[in-house]
Amino acid sequence: MRLVWKLLRSHVSVSQLAGFFLANLCGMVIVLLSIQFYNDVLPVFTGGDSFLKKDYLIVSKKVSTLGSFVGKSRTFSERDKEEIEAQPFTKGVGAFTPSQFKVSAGVGMEQVGLQMSTAMFFESVPDKYVDVNLDKWHFTPGEETIPIIIPRNYLNLYNFGFAQSRSLPQLSEGVMGMINLEIRISGRGMRDTFKGNIVGFSDRLNTILVPESFMNWANQTYAAGEVKEPSRLIVEVNNPADDRIARFFKDKGYETEDDKLDAGKTTWFLKLIVGIVMAVGLVISALSFYILMLSIFLLLQKNSTKLENLLLVGYSPAKVALPYQFLTVGLNAVVLLLAVGLVWLLRGSYLDKLQNLLPGLEGGMQWPMLVIGFLLFVLVSVFNVLAVRRKINGLIKK
Amino acid sequence: MNTITLQQVLPQVFADRDRITSDVWHQSLEWKKGERVLIEAASGTGKSSLCSYIYGYRNDYQGIICFDGKNIKGLSVDDWVNIRQSSLSMLFQELRLFPELSAWENVQFKNTLTNFKQKKEIKVWFEALGIADKWDVPLGKLSFGQQQRVALMRALCQPFDFIFLDEPVSHLDEENGRIMAAVLGEEADKQGAGIVVTSIGKHLELDYDITLKL
Repeated sequence: MRLVWKLLRSHVSVSQLAGFFLANLCGMVIVLLSIQFYNDVLPVFTGGDSFLKKDYLIVSKKVSTLGSFVGKSRTFSERDKEEIEAQPFTKGVGAFTPSQFKVSAGVGMEQVGLQMSTAMFFESVPDKYVDVNLDKWHFTPGEETIPIIIPRNYLNLYNFGFAQSRSLPQLSEGVMGMINLEIRISGRGMRDTFKGNIVGFSDRLNTILVPESFMNWANQTYAAGEVKEPSRLIVEVNNPADDRIARFFKDKGYETEDDKLDAGKTTWFLKLIVGIVMAVGLVISALSFYILMLSIFLLLQKNSTKLENLLLVGYSPAKVALPYQFLTVGLNAVVLLLAVGLVWLLRGSYLDKLQNLLPGLEGGMQWPMLVIGFLLFVLVSVFNVLAVRRKINGLIKK
Repeated sequence: MNTITLQQVLPQVFADRDRITSDVWHQSLEWKKGERVLIEAASGTGKSSLCSYIYGYRNDYQGIICFDGKNIKGLSVDDWVNIRQSSLSMLFQELRLFPELSAWENVQFKNTLTNFKQKKEIKVWFEALGIADKWDVPLGKLSFGQQQRVALMRALCQPFDFIFLDEPVSHLDEENGRIMAAVLGEEADKQGAGIVVTSIGKHLELDYDITLKL
């Protein structure tokens, strides 16, 4: 083997192999980086509301000036609900149940001498629309603690507005989860205090959610228990991009909080751009593969007399091909390792920047990048090995 | 491999000749393992072609060549690799050595493939053939006669049933030719192998069983 390599290494063109090496590295890094970037950035668009089921829309009736004056109903009747349920795109419909009692919430941080309190309201949706771990998202009468989901905006208002102007510490979502809100509820001459525990933040629900079990119990206890019609519905759909949805709601004069659609669009563009970048990377990889094959073929051609002699001495084509196969596979392996290293380096720098922008971002999984890198390596190597072998078999038949 | 038979073999380039007078071309021949055959030929009569047909790297001939009764045109690449490693050895007229390797490496090259000889056995040959001082010298720096001796050693570094030598002593003096014949004869006897030598004038001195005119 050593002697075979000693024989065949002459005519190995370092510049050609370096050309292949750089080109392949370039292609590989582009492909892997685009995959990794996609995985890292995707949660920015799709994450956040992980405790709610994915494809849902929130529907309300339009609030118009005229409607307010003439007292047109802004709530959904049982018939409206049934009509939505009957639509082909609907998987399920849930109603937002509003609280019919008075609520105020306070945060006390005695260390800093701060007391805040605000009047607020609760709403609930059926539990099946909430994905929070079920042992966190429940309430049985007699308990002191109420799990709550609040809009992320509230936290931002505090962190970027209030806390900064008063030089108060900023709070992360994790810390907020540990703070107990003091919830005071009153109605029908009763007044009770509960502890509120924030279990999640929502970008999309502009409401304060509590478990349905609590809402039913509290509405009966602190209000007359009469059933009010919901003003908002949560509609689970099969495919939010279905254009029948938009048409139906437009016809009925309903409004949807359509940032879901925006997120869909953004993700789509992200996919498109990543796809284009990846295609460019793949093309570069393919071209580099072409350079390598040309270089190897040239090498084989220059060494053809030697190769022929090797075969006549009794070396098998497989043995003769081996040094070249080692060379190419070795190069590919080094390219893979370097590419993964480079992607990690680059990822470190862009993750830092992203995390400044979005503090919660943790970065996506890395295994898809590694798996695809490995697959590319295997694919290119197999092609190389076969091509070299074919070329040498061609020499025999000559 | 016990026999090599040639049936009506003729190089295609000779096909349009009217009259061929040859002991080999267009004849039926059988060489048995252990026989020593001398093929005498004028240049241009196709002795290297004959060697290349039998060694399987050219097949532009008519007729049939068989090893043990099996037509060699039906052999696969793997079969040839096997035959060249363990049944058939060839000293090419153009030697086909590697000039960038040293004399020893050229021999070692074959021997690592077959693991047939000890390094010290090869050393004894180098000394017997009078080129022990060329052990580490790049082959390109050796004279053709010295290269012929290296090629012989390479050809002997494998088990074989037949060994073909295509003008092995063309560049050797009588004395060296004798030594070469002795080394070859000893090894062939040890293996019980047949020897086929071609020659255009100077013969390798062996006790030939058959002498053919090509």
